Amino acid sequence: MASAALEAENITRRYRSSGRGVEGVSLSVAPGEVLGLVGPNGSGKSTLLRVLSTAIAPDSGAFRVCGLDGLRERRKVRARLGIMVDRPTHYGDLSGWANAYLFARAYGVPEEKADRALRGLFEHFGLAEYRDEKAKTYSYGMAKKLALIEALAHEPAVLLLDEPSLGLDYTSRLAYQRKLREAAENGCAVLLASNQVDEVEALCDRVVFLHRGRAVAEGTPEGLVSSLEGLRRVVAALRNPVPYAEVGEVPGVRRVVPEGRGLVVHCEDRPGIVAGVVGAIVRCGGDITGLSVERPTLEDVFARLTGEALRGEDEA
Amino acid sequence: MRLDPPDSYWKKDVALFLGRRLSLAIKMLYPAAIILPVAASGIPAQYAAAVVGLVAIMAGTFGAGESLTNDINDGILVRVALTPLSPYRIVAEILVVNAALDFLQLLPALAGVYLLHPAPPAWVLAATVAVFATLLTANAIGVLLANFTSSPADVLLYATIVLFPLIYLSGFFRNQHPEGLLAALRHLVPFAYMNDALKEIFGLATAASPLAVILVPTLLGALTAAAVCLTAPRLLSPRL
Repeated sequence: MASAALEAENITRRYRSSGRGVEGVSLSVAPGEVLGLVGPNGSGKSTLLRVLSTAIAPDSGAFRVCGLDGLRERRKVRARLGIMVDRPTHYGDLSGWANAYLFARAYGVPEEKADRALRGLFEHFGLAEYRDEKAKTYSYGMAKKLALIEALAHEPAVLLLDEPSLGLDYTSRLAYQRKLREAAENGCAVLLASNQVDEVEALCDRVVFLHRGRAVAEGTPEGLVSSLEGLRRVVAALRNPVPYAEVGEVPGVRRVVPEGRGLVVHCEDRPGIVAGVVGAIVRCGGDITGLSVERPTLEDVFARLTGEALRGEDEA
Repeated sequence: MRLDPPDSYWKKDVALFLGRRLSLAIKMLYPAAIILPVAASGIPAQYAAAVVGLVAIMAGTFGAGESLTNDINDGILVRVALTPLSPYRIVAEILVVNAALDFLQLLPALAGVYLLHPAPPAWVLAATVAVFATLLTANAIGVLLANFTSSPADVLLYATIVLFPLIYLSGFFRNQHPEGLLAALRHLVPFAYMNDALKEIFGLATAASPLAVILVPTLLGALTAAAVCLTAPRLLSPRL
């Protein structure tokens, strides 16, 4: 634990207005490690990141960044953090480059080094040709990439990222994942708050599940998923959405979640279950255009642990 | 000195100020458009001085308060506060650079006033310094108000509530010859010294001396600004 780049102990922060927040959350991230913070909206991910980024003080608990006290040595801690908040914000009348340069210099990066680092990052994220355009003309995805550049340019020891890939196109997502892996390989500790389970499974060495402000499970993605031995997900693509209550009554089916026009059926891995599910969908009037039987994901682990879905239907 | 890309907070404000060309033209022209016709007219000196003073106070208070609340709402100010920069330094830079930019906007109008109403150099210097001290104080009031609200409209409302008593005390219109408590309070308001200096420029003799007009409002403005800088941690924290 002494070698952790980020170490949080019993962080509690409740908002008086809503009562939501986090309670007694402890975690640590080692240099070079990517820790995923996974939970549905309102589970406390952003609140925890706000505390760890020194934006707000916890009601109780403590945290250290590279051995520095997060409550008493805030400016020193900030110098070691790279932060990307979920809603990117910039000076709209400055160019993307000017925004990034301002932040790099605010983090104490020397002029030439800032120039070099930003040139590489703008190139990497495909923003080079838009660097001199005003930030207010950037699309949401471009603004997210600019925020990532601002978080990375000063080569922080710890990266705090809140839903970094939300709104990024496929190519940008790959570019971001490559850069994140590169940062981790160079010793950067990454705390990644997200409910994009595919991304978390692909990037994270460990995962902490947050549910209603509390950490409910922790482990490697493989370890957590393998705890669901004996479960399968049947993903059925349908031509049209159908009422699916009958599917939930098939013996062995745990949960049915509509995804777009299709259905994701979480069920036990028992003989004949796929045929049962398909039959029920057809009886419901479903016209199946595609079918796959998949291993469980972190989403299923979360649902099993909490009885709640990780993402709302609109997020699926 | 390189302004674009900016490498510090105050340079960012200057780059933004210079970057919005139409807005810049309007900002540079409107004080002159209000003040110069008044200075060229034959209205009594006390009212001419009051008009110049009001333009300075309003520009300072509303400018800083409104732009700050916009930045707070955007979340950008909180993001800047998460850099290793000292929050006190950020607020000090906001105050000083905004006061300086407001001063720059007023300078053409002030120069016009000095040309139309030639006055002893000591009073010209005193009036110029007092206008800057007023702008610094007004910006400090704007920043202070941004501590209590994240709505630009509220800033206008609260500014009105705060400024009216100060303008009254300063003797822009009423309270021209205060006595007792009102006189004592008037000495604590930087706007009053600017008003005295401008009255002198417009040809109305006052009891003030140029030295006092230079020193006292500068000191009061600096103290107010320093006090407002102490609110930096609150001002730059997220509004939850």
